[in-house]
Amino acid sequence: MKSVVKQRQHFGSFLPEIPSRNDEGKKSTQHSRRKQQKEFLPPGPHQSAEALSKAEISLFRNSLKQNICVELLQQGFHRSFSELFLLLRSDQQRRAEEEFESDELPLEQQWDKMETLRRHLSRAEQAENTCSWTVTGSRGGRSRPATEARACLAEVYLQLGDLQAARQQADQCLQQAEGEGWVDSSGQPLRLRALRALSSVYSRLADAPLEAEDHSEALRLLHRGHSIAAEAEDKKLEFDTLFRLGLTYQSAGDHDTAKQLFNTCMQICGSLHDAEGLGKSYKALSKSIESEGNTQETLECLEKLVDISRDNGLKRNLADAFICLGNTYFTMREYSRASEFFLQGYEVSCELGDVALLQKAQVLVGTSRARSLFGKFSADVESCSPAALKRLILWKDTRGRQEVGSDSTGSDAAAAWF
Amino acid sequence: MEASPRVLGKASKIISLALPKGTEKLCELCQKTAHLQCTKCRVTFYCDAEHQQADWVGIHERICQMLVTIRSPTVLSLQQAGCIQSQLVKAELIEMCRLVAQSKLSEGKHQEALPAAQFCLRCSKDVHGPRSVQMVPAYLLLAEANMGMGNLAWAAELLSQAEWAALKSSDHMVHQRLHRCLGRLHTTTGNLEAALFNFANDIYFASEEYGLDSTVTRGGYFLMANVYAKLGRLPIVRSFYSEVAQTWHCHLTKLLNTHVQNVQSPYTEMEPYDEAQRVEVDEMLRTMLEFEQNDSRKDSAQIALVAHCLAILWFLAGDSLKALGFGNTALQASQLIPNHDLTEPIQGLLQLLHTAR
Repeated sequence: MKSVVKQRQHFGSFLPEIPSRNDEGKKSTQHSRRKQQKEFLPPGPHQSAEALSKAEISLFRNSLKQNICVELLQQGFHRSFSELFLLLRSDQQRRAEEEFESDELPLEQQWDKMETLRRHLSRAEQAENTCSWTVTGSRGGRSRPATEARACLAEVYLQLGDLQAARQQADQCLQQAEGEGWVDSSGQPLRLRALRALSSVYSRLADAPLEAEDHSEALRLLHRGHSIAAEAEDKKLEFDTLFRLGLTYQSAGDHDTAKQLFNTCMQICGSLHDAEGLGKSYKALSKSIESEGNTQETLECLEKLVDISRDNGLKRNLADAFICLGNTYFTMREYSRASEFFLQGYEVSCELGDVALLQKAQVLVGTSRARSLFGKFSADVESCSPAALKRLILWKDTRGRQEVGSDSTGSDAAAAWF
Repeated sequence: MEASPRVLGKASKIISLALPKGTEKLCELCQKTAHLQCTKCRVTFYCDAEHQQADWVGIHERICQMLVTIRSPTVLSLQQAGCIQSQLVKAELIEMCRLVAQSKLSEGKHQEALPAAQFCLRCSKDVHGPRSVQMVPAYLLLAEANMGMGNLAWAAELLSQAEWAALKSSDHMVHQRLHRCLGRLHTTTGNLEAALFNFANDIYFASEEYGLDSTVTRGGYFLMANVYAKLGRLPIVRSFYSEVAQTWHCHLTKLLNTHVQNVQSPYTEMEPYDEAQRVEVDEMLRTMLEFEQNDSRKDSAQIALVAHCLAILWFLAGDSLKALGFGNTALQASQLIPNHDLTEPIQGLLQLLHTAR
């Protein structure tokens, strides 16, 4: 197959160049037509590697209309063919009836429109055929098409949210495909397809117990989903299920297990080169560490998150990371550092243009600045003794306008505090 | 065949002295040195009696006397008027041979069609030149006859010649017939992908020439569905067959209506199909009926539709026994579906059959 592809690429030089003096324009249109039609070649393997097959020759010789019609019929989409044919005929008639010659090209010469029509028509017919297979499926057929229909049905039910039906179809599909080595029409093994659908079903099934805070049931379902995803040999799916599992452990309060899971997530992301997933994992991990009270580790983790987000240009993650860092410093009462990070977060969210995030960052900057400003008097505010009150009043009278931070938001927030 | 007391023409030995010197006579069929000549026209020669008889049955019986005018040199034939005259006769001969070969082919007598097709080809070459589009129909006839006899290599050779001749033409009909023939060849040789490609082209050209709903186009659909059946893609076969059945049902119902009107009013009855065409349609519908009956889904609506078609076909052909059989099948199938809109027309047809008896 590879050699065929290579060969095809060489056809440009294989075809003799026609020396042209006056028809430069003609040549280029022919060339572009060939290019268009090359994309349009059916993907199947062609019988002859050393010469153009008859079908390929006809792509160059025949009209676009004929090529598209023939391709539709060859794939068995006769309804699409008749629709397209009638449409083109009515377009022809309309043009013939028009008194003035319009500048617009006839529809059958507009390659992009024809291609779009072909794609949508054949997909519609494919969908219709699949639906009519439902009948075959529900009668308990055990053939390959019936099994493929089950896989399709499972996916459709999953999209519709009918999880029990989806699970039933996927289970049956799995049973039938077991040991048969069947592949679907696009060449994917049916067994893996069923496994993927089943895994998604389990992870969606866990939504309900999670909402009801029934952690043990949710964990049971998610574990099941994860083991199926691992069997389906789909790393991305495995990551998704693991991540959800981690989050569930986190909300159940089992931070050690959650941390382990997030670490595994990171390994998977590393092998997938998925920076987004990596960022997600780090953020979740830092949350777990934070709730254990280990601030130093939290900070390290968050700084890593900042690095990853910055390296991969993930601005939203970066803004989140800065705000998280700021929050951590804020709880550590290091207000000036907190305000620095909040400010960075604010800048990134300005670049993002996200107003909600931007306003949140503004408030946080203001709060932390205010806190850093009257840090030494906070003990007095809390103590409520008359002596402390006097000191506060004295400070209020003597402080100058200039002492307040240059940032107006900061001063507003500070004023609101009083 | 051998037992029939048909006169298969008469042949005598060539008397060399009676012929102009230096012209070697060749067999009409195989182009070898000839030893016999037809006693009726005296312008056609054969290597042996077998070829003479084959040619007689195939075509010579009908064209024997016409050959005299074009083959015997007279004073007139050397003048311009004579030339035109002989060209006209040849054109007539081509048409006649084409029809004869066609009808023999549809009757399944491939061997007998061979002489007519061969003569048609030779005559076309004379009249139109060796590379003209007009050669294509003759090539196709010959190829079809050879295909029927199993000479696939020779048929392929003929078809590629036809392709070459058709290359310059933009006549949809020529291309349609060529592609159908090629598709048939590929189906027999087992090159199913190529067959699909050719039938798809056949359908495209037929739609351009005759319209989407014509029976010619549906013929292409049927052939294509058979290829899909060989590939095991049954859902596609089903949907193609249902398309074909619907068109034929429409068509036959229309014919039935005109037929009934003609019976009521004293007009001359018109015969819609000749024998060969009927055989072809019957075979097609029967294949579809069998497919539906053996199918795991047992789509009763489809069975009823196809059986109704067959019943009408045989009713129009005047075979009430067959029509009754298919009519009953159709009725049974349609009664499985509550309130099926075909039940009434089927019952109407059955009633018509009973009153005719």
